[in-house]
Amino acid sequence: MKWFKMTKRRNYIFATIVVVALGIGITTTYAKYRGTDLARVPELPGEFVPVEGYDNYPDPPTSKPITNTLELYPTIDKGFRTPFDLWRYYGRDASSFSSPILPMRFEQWVEFHRKQKPQLMEDVREYMASRYDFSGETISGATMSGGKPIMKGPVARLPEGFETWEELAALSPEEMKEQDIFPYMPLAHPLQSTAHMVFPDAWVKVHPEHKRIDVDMDFPQAYLPEFPPPLFLTTHRELGDVTNGREITLDNYYEIFDGILTPEQMEGLKELLRPSPTTWFNHTDHRITEAASKGVACMDCHVNGHTNGAFELAPDSRPHMARLRVDTPTLRGNYNLMQLSSKRSVRSLDHFSEIEEYFDGDPGMQQAIGPRAVKGEVSNRMGDFNAIVDNPPTPKLDPLMRLIPALATESELRGEELFHGKAKCAQCHYGDAFVEDCFRDLKVERFYLGRPEGPIKTFPLRGIKDSPPYLHDGRCPTLHDVVEFFNIVFQLELTRQEKEDLVAYLLCL
Amino acid sequence: MPNELGKPAPAPTFLRLSAGTVYFYFGFLKFFPDLSPGEFLAGQTIMRLTNYWVDAKTALFLLAIMECAIGLSFLFNVFLRFLFTFFLFHQFSTFLPLFFFPEITFKIAPFAPTMEGQYIFKNLISLSAGWTVMFPAVKASSRQARAEKAERKALASKKLEHGDAAPVANQAHTANA
Repeated sequence: MKWFKMTKRRNYIFATIVVVALGIGITTTYAKYRGTDLARVPELPGEFVPVEGYDNYPDPPTSKPITNTLELYPTIDKGFRTPFDLWRYYGRDASSFSSPILPMRFEQWVEFHRKQKPQLMEDVREYMASRYDFSGETISGATMSGGKPIMKGPVARLPEGFETWEELAALSPEEMKEQDIFPYMPLAHPLQSTAHMVFPDAWVKVHPEHKRIDVDMDFPQAYLPEFPPPLFLTTHRELGDVTNGREITLDNYYEIFDGILTPEQMEGLKELLRPSPTTWFNHTDHRITEAASKGVACMDCHVNGHTNGAFELAPDSRPHMARLRVDTPTLRGNYNLMQLSSKRSVRSLDHFSEIEEYFDGDPGMQQAIGPRAVKGEVSNRMGDFNAIVDNPPTPKLDPLMRLIPALATESELRGEELFHGKAKCAQCHYGDAFVEDCFRDLKVERFYLGRPEGPIKTFPLRGIKDSPPYLHDGRCPTLHDVVEFFNIVFQLELTRQEKEDLVAYLLCL
Repeated sequence: MPNELGKPAPAPTFLRLSAGTVYFYFGFLKFFPDLSPGEFLAGQTIMRLTNYWVDAKTALFLLAIMECAIGLSFLFNVFLRFLFTFFLFHQFSTFLPLFFFPEITFKIAPFAPTMEGQYIFKNLISLSAGWTVMFPAVKASSRQARAEKAERKALASKKLEHGDAAPVANQAHTANA
C-alpha cells in the first residue's frame, strides 16, 4: 500500500483540490440557487438589452438595480428578533403562504418569549430613546377632543453636530444620505418575525387578554391618542361625545346606542365590536397570548371609532420583513374618503369592512385559525356604522373650513396662510377633510439608504391633533415633528416662527 | 499521544483531511446568504453570545472566516497550534444553542433532541476528531517551546557563572544611549 501513503506533497495536492473544488462548486451552485422557489435571494438582475435600432439611447432607470446598496434579510424564524432598521434590507420569502405551525412546542414558545422579551424590550426602549427625546413636555393649553394634553415637539433627536433644525434642513438630500443623519427614518415593528397588532399600555391595562408574551408597545402612552376617545356622530351632533367618556364594548353598546342608531347601524356596530380570531390572537397554539384568545374586534384598535394607537403591518406585501409598520388610522370622517388604508388603496367603507380579516393578507390561515366569515350584507352594515362616525367639532373654522378671524389667534392665522402658501400643505390636504383621494410617493429614501416605501395614502388633517403619532408608521411623534419632516422633505425653508404658526393652525383643524 | 520513543504519534491523516474538508465546506457555505442550513441557529447564537451587539450578517461572516481557517489548517497541516484555541472556542460555541435555544434544539429537553439538537450532539465526534489531530501537534509544539526556554535559561545561567552578563547589559545601555 505504498502508493497510498499520504506524503506531504500528496497532502497538499489533495487539500488544494478540495479547496478549489468546493470553492468553485459552491459559488456556481449559489448562482443557480438564487431566484429559485426555495431561495430568499432574488435573482440577479440581467444586463439591459436595448431594442434593436435604439442602441444609442441611455439605459432606462428601471434597468438599474437599487438593491446593491441594501442588505439581504437575515434568515429568521417566527418569534426571533429582527433588526430595528429593516428598511435597509431586501429579499424574498421562500413562499407567499404562511403556516400555522410554530417553530417549537407551545410551552417552549411561551418559555422562549419569557426569556427573550425583557432584553428585547430593553433594547427597544434604548433604540427609541436614541431616536426620540420623549421629554413629556406638553403644548400649553392644547388638548385633544377628550381633554388629553397634546405633546410638544420636535422630539426626534437632532444628529450630532447640529444645533438647530434649520441648520439640518439646509442640507441637500444627498448630503443627508451620505452622512446617514436623516432624523425621520422609517420605524419597523420591534418584532417583525411575528409582527401583528401591538396594543398600547393603556389598552392592555383594561384588556389584559391582549397582553402579548413577546413584545410590548414602544411608544410612551403620553404620545398616543387618548383612551377612550370621544365618539361623535354625523347624525347626532347635538349629543357631542355620545359615549360620555366610556369605551364602547359588546356589553354596553346596546344601552348607549339603542334609539339613536338605525337597526342596520346597530348590527354593523355590534359586528365591529365582536372579536374574531386573527393570525396571532386566537384559540390555537399559533398565538402570542399566554391564554387562548377570543381574538380581536375592529374596535379594539379603532376604539370608539377612532384609534388607540395600536400598530400592525400593512398586509400588502411579501416577504413579511418588507411589510411596512402601519398605525391604526381613525375611522372618523371616513364618509369623506374614497380611498382608505395607508398602503392597500381600499376603495370603499364596505370593502374596508369586508377585507379587514386581520389574517395578514393570507386567507389560507383561515382554515387553521377560523374565519371571520362575515357575509357581504353584514360587512355592508359595518360600513353603515362607519359612515356616521364624525370628526370632532372645529369651533374656530367656518363652513368653508377657513379660520374665523375673530376666534383665531395671530399665530393661527399666519399658520393658515402658510398652510395654503409657502408650506405647500394645501397642495395635498384640501377641501372639507383636508385630504385628497391620492396615494403619494414622497420619495423619502432620497434622504437615507433604504428600500423605497412607495406611494402612501394622503391622510386627512381634520381632527389631526387627536391622532398622534404621525405618518403611516408613527415616525413623527408630534405635530412639530411632522412640520420638521415636511420642511426637510420638501425643502420649504420655514423659519422657527413659521413652524410654530403651522402647528398652531393644525391644532384648529 | 507519545509513543514508546517519547515522540508524539502522527495524527491520523485521513481523520485530519476529512475534518478539514468538512470544516472548510460548511464554513465556505456561510459566505453565501441563505445557502447554509446552519445559518439561522449559528447567527442567532452569536448574536445572543454578544448580547445582540453583532448583527446576523457580521456574525455569519466572522464564523465563516473562522471555520474556513480551521478547515485550511487541518487540510494543509499548518498553524495547528495557533488555531487550536479557535477550534476549542468554536466547538464550545456549537454546543451553546442547547442552552440558549433549547426550544429549537430539543423536542423535550434534555433527552429528546430535534434534528438541530442531534446535529449539535454529533459535534462531540468532531471535537474528539479535532482533538486527536491537533492536540499531539500542540503538545509537541509546547514541549519544544518548553525545551527551548529551558535551554535559553541554562545558557543564560551559564553566562552568568562566567560573568558574561555585565558586558551584555552594558552593550544594551550603550545602544540605547
